[in-house]
Amino acid sequence: MGAQMPEDPENPMDGSGPVEPVRPIVEPSAEGVEAVTEALPVAKKAVAADVVSVGPAPVPVLAPAPVMVATEPEARVPAAATIRLEKKHPLAIRWMHWVNFPVLFTMIWSGLLIYWNDSDNAYQHPHAVYRVGVGSLTLARMFPPWFWKAINAPYRVTEGLGYHFFFMWLFAINGILYVSYLLISGEWRVLVPERTSVQDAIQVTLVDLHLRKGLPPQKKYNGAQRIAYSAVILMGLGSLVTGLSIYKPTQVHWITSLLGGYEMARWEHFWLTMGFCAFFVVHVVQVALAGWNNFRSMVSGYEIVRATKATLEEERSAR
Amino acid sequence: MSDGREERKEQEERRRWEEERKNPDRHQDERDRDWEREGERERLDSLAADAEVRAESGRRTRRSFLVAAAAAAGGYGFYRWIDRSPGDQLIPRPLRKTLDFNAKVARGVFDERGLAPTYPVSKSMELRTNGNYGLKMDLVPESYRLQIVGVENATRFPQYVDDVTAWEYKYAVKKEPGPVEHDTKVAPKNEAKVDPNSDAGAGEGPMMQGGPASTMFGGSGEKKEETKLPPAFEKALADLKKSQGNKRPRGQEEAGMSDNTLDPGTPGLLLTMDDVTTLPHHELVTEFKCIEGWSQVVHWGGYRLADLIAKYPPARGADGSLPKYVYMETPDGDYYCGFSLQACKHPQSLLATEMAGRPLTQWHGAPIRLHMPIKYGYKQIKRIGLIAYTDMQPDDYWTKLGYDWYAGL
Repeated sequence: MGAQMPEDPENPMDGSGPVEPVRPIVEPSAEGVEAVTEALPVAKKAVAADVVSVGPAPVPVLAPAPVMVATEPEARVPAAATIRLEKKHPLAIRWMHWVNFPVLFTMIWSGLLIYWNDSDNAYQHPHAVYRVGVGSLTLARMFPPWFWKAINAPYRVTEGLGYHFFFMWLFAINGILYVSYLLISGEWRVLVPERTSVQDAIQVTLVDLHLRKGLPPQKKYNGAQRIAYSAVILMGLGSLVTGLSIYKPTQVHWITSLLGGYEMARWEHFWLTMGFCAFFVVHVVQVALAGWNNFRSMVSGYEIVRATKATLEEERSAR
Repeated sequence: MSDGREERKEQEERRRWEEERKNPDRHQDERDRDWEREGERERLDSLAADAEVRAESGRRTRRSFLVAAAAAAGGYGFYRWIDRSPGDQLIPRPLRKTLDFNAKVARGVFDERGLAPTYPVSKSMELRTNGNYGLKMDLVPESYRLQIVGVENATRFPQYVDDVTAWEYKYAVKKEPGPVEHDTKVAPKNEAKVDPNSDAGAGEGPMMQGGPASTMFGGSGEKKEETKLPPAFEKALADLKKSQGNKRPRGQEEAGMSDNTLDPGTPGLLLTMDDVTTLPHHELVTEFKCIEGWSQVVHWGGYRLADLIAKYPPARGADGSLPKYVYMETPDGDYYCGFSLQACKHPQSLLATEMAGRPLTQWHGAPIRLHMPIKYGYKQIKRIGLIAYTDMQPDDYWTKLGYDWYAGL
């Protein structure tokens, strides 16, 4: 899920274009200054004064100008920007988000190398766990041979195990740091679903699918985002717990049993991974749709917003 | 912040939004127009200020993307470093080191004391056959002896011999082909697939022709080219074989010969089956787990390894300490495993002689195989010929081919 931007604050005025053309063209000549002062009698006095101060020669015509300028400032408030930079994503969140991306990718890739080993192979043992079906009815087994070939998975189990049991530490540590940061910084307030989130999420989804118009008012994240981002954190926790129960099913057999047994834990671990893949696809599509301003904020931390927009700090601090 | 104003504002916003939802087009358009007009009014005034904001954003963006690029390069370098590291038993050294580190953590946290859950017999099933290293031919049961090396005061036992390696095991061509492999949970498919083990070790399957023995380790499945050796070389080999008493060379499988294979002249005990079967009998129904990813509940019967160790205890070192490890191998030395002494003393570590209520078959490792629910299947060695106490971490067949030595569950 990407940020839903009802307006594009980076270009608040459609077709405003580059800055230069609208700036009055001034020349350091008496005529030029005169022309400008006439064309923009009120607003551009200051410009005229500037030109005078840097101009090559004082011109008698402009003698009264300083007086006018001296009287103007009280009446004329310096022009305020219509946009401002909003600190959207804290540095820690950005680092942990981007560290998680290659780490989770490595976990999924190495997991596939391991999982190939139990795929339908020359032993004629179609795997019992990773399938779509009910009871003895099997609709599909993951994955077809061409898929395994395409990702170059066959006979790379030891590599897969080695990487999986290396990067599991990075995944776990990064996840624990992330959740700790959310809790300590109060950032969890912008992430955890609210009372209205479910209703909002339905509306957001319908708008995204062009079935309805009108996005609900949102702060940092809309209802759909709150639900998706919170769910994916829980999925990460689920992957760690199911992973541990598969990794040490004898020593932590009480966890394995709670999860429904060893095979069930493998099943859960696998489908959580499928869930990550689904999340990834939707996430990337939404980010692409939300545009550059939103994407950039996940790297630089700042988003360009309308100056009148309420600050996120209020949402972050406790109500 | 916490006064009612904020909340009222929010409620107002929400009410407006809900109203808009009922009349989406009109209000949305109005709002858009409003903002455009407002923007137009401020447009000229604020351009310079806006440009400053944009410039600030640009500066931050450039800086952030530079840091991001450096971080990405660093991350990729880290991956390359792992991937290009010299191998340690077929996997890059950092990965091997991590497996060893993980084993240390697991030992520290769990101490290998957990008991595997047990199941009712009705849930058990016939175990798959998977891998026939060291089982290529039938072992003549009468010729079976269990070699034990490193026993304390070994000479006090009547089974003591000066050289356990001199014992000759007798083999016979398989009488029964064994089960043709098929899935035990769903019906086998109609289309015939090449089954590496379908010969049940008779030596005629694709594995014996150079194909992959098991999915546990790679092999392209292509036929190995038969290399014709020069006659002089062949003669030298034949002479060497003769000088070794025409014995079958050891370590004939993929992983090669074990470093722990006994030197000729190693003293120890030669136990008969009776020596083992006089130990207290135990039965267990546990889940067997293969690192390939499958698992089966199996009914085992046999004798606790701990009881055997108690009866034939390891010799202590000069400082009075017990050896840390136990090494086991098949009579022909083709398959071998290493364990910690503690894992062998685990109450569920069983010298299995029965499976599914029947005597163990040859293809499942008769007369004695290991059942150890705190380890993956590849540690549960079939047809145990030797049990040796040692102080050095022993060689392990699958560890040599890239798997974890510890393999603890």
